[in-house]
Amino acid sequence: STLPAVAEELLREIRKAFQETSQVPDDLLLGLKFIFGPSAVPALDLVDQRSVTRVRAPSGRTLYQVLGSSGKLYTCYSSCHFCTCPAFGFSVLQKSESLLCKHILAVYLSQAMGACQELAVSEEQLTNILLAEEEDEG
Amino acid sequence: LCRGGLAERLCRLQNRERSAISFWRHQCISDGKVPSDKSGVLIVKILEIFEECTIQVAICQQLAQSSATLSPEDAVINAEEPILKVLFTRETAAHLKSSPQDVIHIYPPWQKLLLQNADVPVIMNTYFSQKVLLSEHSEAREKTYGLKKMLIRKNIISLAQTFRLDDLDDKLHQESSDNQVPCAPQTHNKGDSKQHPPALSAVNDSLLEMVESQGAVGWREVQVRVVIQRVYCLPAREGYRSHTQGNKPLCATPITNSDPPNVRLCLLVQDAYGMFSEVQLQSLSSTDDIERYCQRWEGKSCCLAGMKILQRTTRGRALGLFSLIDSLWPPVVPVKVPGQSQESEMMTTNLPPPSFCYILTVQSGEIHVEVDEEEQISNLYQPPAVHGLKEILRISGRNERCSFWAQVLYQRLQSKHSVPIDQREMLLFVTDSTLQNVVHGIPKVVAVSVTASCVLSMEVIEALSADSQLVFFKDALWGNGRIICVERTVLLLQKPLLCSAAGADLSELTGPVRLDELDSTTQASSICALRGTVVGVNESTAFSWPTCNRCGNGKLELCPQDRELLYCNQCSEVVTTPVLKMQLEVFLSCPSRSQSTVKVKVWHEISMALFVLLTMLLFLQTYEVQSVLGKEVGLLSCYVHSITSHPNCVALEEIVLL
Repeated sequence: STLPAVAEELLREIRKAFQETSQVPDDLLLGLKFIFGPSAVPALDLVDQRSVTRVRAPSGRTLYQVLGSSGKLYTCYSSCHFCTCPAFGFSVLQKSESLLCKHILAVYLSQAMGACQELAVSEEQLTNILLAEEEDEG
Repeated sequence: LCRGGLAERLCRLQNRERSAISFWRHQCISDGKVPSDKSGVLIVKILEIFEECTIQVAICQQLAQSSATLSPEDAVINAEEPILKVLFTRETAAHLKSSPQDVIHIYPPWQKLLLQNADVPVIMNTYFSQKVLLSEHSEAREKTYGLKKMLIRKNIISLAQTFRLDDLDDKLHQESSDNQVPCAPQTHNKGDSKQHPPALSAVNDSLLEMVESQGAVGWREVQVRVVIQRVYCLPAREGYRSHTQGNKPLCATPITNSDPPNVRLCLLVQDAYGMFSEVQLQSLSSTDDIERYCQRWEGKSCCLAGMKILQRTTRGRALGLFSLIDSLWPPVVPVKVPGQSQESEMMTTNLPPPSFCYILTVQSGEIHVEVDEEEQISNLYQPPAVHGLKEILRISGRNERCSFWAQVLYQRLQSKHSVPIDQREMLLFVTDSTLQNVVHGIPKVVAVSVTASCVLSMEVIEALSADSQLVFFKDALWGNGRIICVERTVLLLQKPLLCSAAGADLSELTGPVRLDELDSTTQASSICALRGTVVGVNESTAFSWPTCNRCGNGKLELCPQDRELLYCNQCSEVVTTPVLKMQLEVFLSCPSRSQSTVKVKVWHEISMALFVLLTMLLFLQTYEVQSVLGKEVGLLSCYVHSITSHPNCVALEEIVLL
């Protein structure tokens, strides 16, 4: 598959550029638009608003929590591409129309630009966050 | 959107880009020719197209810069020319309608991206792309595009592949194997200890997995271990028809059909997860083997390999099959629940009965079914539950499978002469001690209907015609107040090895068989006993005919050599001492059903000696009807043809019980 490698390279370029110039050049932003389509602008908005938090437990386990526009908190996994938002379930899982949802893209962009908030929690609290998602989904 | 943020910036850039794209496209259409600015135009020839998440990926060859009048024939693929991966958005792809061998011009601003570990550069931002159209073929190409679009391969991206943005990690992107989400069902490899031919893989215990692996690499080698719950024969779908051999007389002789019956041996198997499957094996040359297979195979484990899926059927479409499956539900031992680890097996008290079932068949050629005949009966096996007929008649359900032992008293073939003998339905009148020992309330004898789809072995057919038989009815169907033998019902003469509840003792009859006497509750198509007084004779129905003393054939012919001798074409011999059968309809007055006119077709066999006398008497018309009137007729066994209420008449036929 080609697209993931392309997406990854684009994000790396963004990271490199940001590290060197504290800025993201226009062509890379347009590249984001090209690859990720309609998710690009909302993802950047989430980054602008510092909506991404990296949650870390003492064992080293991490996950990401993204505050959505509606005020809802979504959880994104570190180990694989997964997000608890409905758009992920629909566009990515069901229709395979998108590589990522805007929340996962926001996680990567926040990583690239050092815009993640950090939160340290206990092992149990991390587990509870994951389990809480399960309960919500019934 | 945040003021001055990235999102706002991208929005502005995007709007600008969109206007540029529509302006450019408009220019292309209106000019009718390619815009003159040639610098920076990328000319590519598409070799292959596939799709990933709405992005169209085109593997292309970059062509040398040349004029717009380049014809595709000139654009010979030169191995030296570089390969590119050109990405198009869904909207651009729809606009281009490109297919392999097309030549595309990509105008700036396009972007080139070099991937870390790949040689092939990627071209992005290809909004300003145009296809070079050939004048002759353009229309045809447009039409076939729609079809070709459907054939574009779509790659599904794995979610396990995450992005690493740091340079400190490996340049080669790796999937973190320990965090990998397993997407394929876990294969439970239960004990690789079985020594199978090297071509076959380790044994699996899930039918569903085997079914899902169909078509995948190595599926032929997948083996599944299952328990054989039932063995039976099904008529082949091609039509359960054997040739009618001339005008076969309807007689009481064994049906000697030399054509092989078109039946297949089938197994109903169950895996460790409780899932059922019907496996259709080879055609049987002789139905006599059914009993043997039943005895040797039922309850044993076996390994299936290289099965082909014939059908996936559901409850609504295969009522017969599911009535059998329901009789085996719930499982007698806990079954595995998919998704759980191997060690924890769940109880099955609340599992709903299955709603679908796969019908499998063997690949032509070898049979990949290995039955462990030496091994013990599996715990999962549920032998048929045997009940007395009295209990069965009281079952309230519909379409319940039931098994019982019974004594067959009388057999009657449905006489539709247009239908070949082995396709005819048959009525068997049966009884057992539970029915015989009851004083009143339930019938003493029950009619069991055997449909053409119930495969009977030759052995059973012969035995039924010859003598009163104790027959084991396995998985007959009870419904609407009738017991019927349908597909998957098996009639056996020998007791199956494992039966729950007392089997044969229920059917041991302690005395002579008694039939219900004719009364107001008697139904048509039943048998009964009657007694009464002759009150009339229907002389027009008096009839006599000679029959073969060997086989009972009632259609004797005159010998071609000597026209005074009779010849039986069933025995292929001359009949020297024919048995005369006489038939007469008499009217009886029966005290048990005094309101009705009882008309009985009685018949008797008389010997040759009396034959001559009677012929003379009939000829001389000295036969005195009067001598018959008033005669008491003892307990006759009769088959009830019909019962009418207006006039109130019962028509019966005297029968001989087996």
